Amino acid sequence: MTRRLIIEPRGLATWWLKLLIPIASVIAALVLGAVFLSITGNDWLEVYKKMADAAFGSGRGFAETLVSATPLILTGVAAAIAFKMLVWNIGGEGQLIAGAVAAAGVGIWLADGTPAVIAITAVVAAGAVGGAFWAALSAVPRVYLGTNEIITTLMLNFIALHLMQYLVFGSSSPWRDPDATQFPQGRPIIDNGRIPEFFHRLDWGLFIAIAVAIAAWFVISKTRSGFEYRIVGDSFDAARYAGIKVPRKVLGTFLASGAAAGLAGSILVAGILGKMDPRSLDLGLGFTGIIVAALARLNPIAIIPVAILMGALNNAGPALQSIGVPSAVVMILQGAILIFAVGGEFLISNRIRRPERHVEETTAAAEVSPA
Amino acid sequence: MNESVLMLTIVAAIGLGTPIVFATVGEILTERSGILNLGVQGMMMIGAVMGFWATFETGSLWLGVLAALIAGAALSLIHAFNSVTLRVSQIVSGLALTIFGTGVAIFIGRAGSEPLIGTPSREVFEPILPEALADLPLVGPLVFGHDALIYLSWIIVATSSYYLFRTRPGLTLRAVGEDPASAEAAGIHVSRVRYIHVMVGGALAGLGGAYFSLALVPSWQDHPIGPAGWIAIALVILASWRPWRALWVAYLFGAAGRVSFTFQTLEVNVPADLLAMLPYVLAIVAMLILASGKRARLLGAPAALGIPYFREER
Repeated sequence: MTRRLIIEPRGLATWWLKLLIPIASVIAALVLGAVFLSITGNDWLEVYKKMADAAFGSGRGFAETLVSATPLILTGVAAAIAFKMLVWNIGGEGQLIAGAVAAAGVGIWLADGTPAVIAITAVVAAGAVGGAFWAALSAVPRVYLGTNEIITTLMLNFIALHLMQYLVFGSSSPWRDPDATQFPQGRPIIDNGRIPEFFHRLDWGLFIAIAVAIAAWFVISKTRSGFEYRIVGDSFDAARYAGIKVPRKVLGTFLASGAAAGLAGSILVAGILGKMDPRSLDLGLGFTGIIVAALARLNPIAIIPVAILMGALNNAGPALQSIGVPSAVVMILQGAILIFAVGGEFLISNRIRRPERHVEETTAAAEVSPA
Repeated sequence: MNESVLMLTIVAAIGLGTPIVFATVGEILTERSGILNLGVQGMMMIGAVMGFWATFETGSLWLGVLAALIAGAALSLIHAFNSVTLRVSQIVSGLALTIFGTGVAIFIGRAGSEPLIGTPSREVFEPILPEALADLPLVGPLVFGHDALIYLSWIIVATSSYYLFRTRPGLTLRAVGEDPASAEAAGIHVSRVRYIHVMVGGALAGLGGAYFSLALVPSWQDHPIGPAGWIAIALVILASWRPWRALWVAYLFGAAGRVSFTFQTLEVNVPADLLAMLPYVLAIVAMLILASGKRARLLGAPAALGIPYFREER
């Protein structure tokens, strides 16, 4: 007879376990990545050294890491607040692009002399509105018709991508730079709409992103509205009995999620890009946001350091090409981190122990064979 | 007649639709067991690269197909473990598979001193029946002019439809997807059924990927499959979890993918980027009309889809 382990749901996991599992996920992914690199004939240690050096080795390198992290904080918040309420918004990509389109539109339309405070606010806010609008295209059918939002958000990602490409490459829309005749490019927004930099390409958008993450945490854990939100996230039925208007709550969360992703787009446009640049807005930032949210266990504060880690990986990728290693290593590591992080949730919500001999037979129903 | 625009469009639609047929039928079998796998894109990518690589190394197309099947199934095993054994979020696990699989495929395509990227495939799937048959009017290009994998896709559609609705194991599969607790009570090994069908789905997705790299665009590039995996996931719903319908909707989407070329030949001037939106708009509109709310259940959505099954809950 094989000895079987007993698996039982755990009530509340200890804080150190919630911290340990995500860290262990990252380490496990790095080990898997090292094995994969070795099999394919690369020196894994050299690769990792190169990556660490590119991401953290210098002031400029770390600034680039933070530049990469800025949109990921926002797409991470977007995914986290939606997923916590079991709203499967995987349209962060599309909402980010919609935000960028709206932000660039406003930034181009504004008169040149508009005061910087007004211009920046308008451009950044336009991104949130654009993202929320794009999310509404999925949220309204989900809430009022019961249409599966996984599929609609996914499809809207591609629609947004082609819309953006059409605006720059396929038409002479206001978004296209009339001066760029050789290679079509987005038209620059007005100078006063640009978020100022404070250190080597790093701009104040980083602090907007951090403020949004903190605000999300505050609203969720410290306000009445956030309390209701958490009840809905735990159980739709319980929320209904408590008199909470669930559809409205779901709709609001979905739109807020879209707005956060849209902000990522507008901060890119108003920050490092200065225009709607289709190539720089199609980097999978929405999907990476889902990795960030999962590894942060949907906690908005934890999203900040996790986004910096993912930003470091994204930033390190291109540096690998100088030693002849494909930058896709980064994607492998990020995918592996997500695989381990989601699997690790099992250890947080369950306890595994050896059966005590005398109760072994009576607990047969609770046994799970190690598959 | 065989050279008419309509005919050329239909033939192209069959070709472009075939990888989606493989992946959609695979995902139908997976979802019928109650497991949602959003990793189709990743499984197709890894099937595409492993199929291409195996054919490149051995010169055998069928060894390429075998490698693609194994690679897709192997990747899906991770998802099966996460969603059946660990019972964690199927949605996040599936997305993880997509990111991981895509990364691995791009890496393999670019690794080494003589990377695969840019290399044409050593062998390519080509029409197998004599040209005399393929030149027949109407039925020639529609029925006789295809490569072996297209015929294989028809066989797979027919067998999986028969399997699902006419056989005992098919009934078992549907029972597991509808009500795993009752299925378990009736003596069915729910976990085993789910593991098997997640892996069958992965294998078919891998095959779909290989159809890109060994037939449709037979040279390696970073993203040879476009967004085919995502489309397959949407088509499962539009096909209402039935293999034959998957065949037709996949061809319809193949035609939508061909539309910009057709418009060019007809000298209709519509911007390519707007036309490229068409399949996705089509999918959303069809979802709104066909699959909203309770209608999704009527369509045939497995009742337990996406819900982790805890055996000890009674």
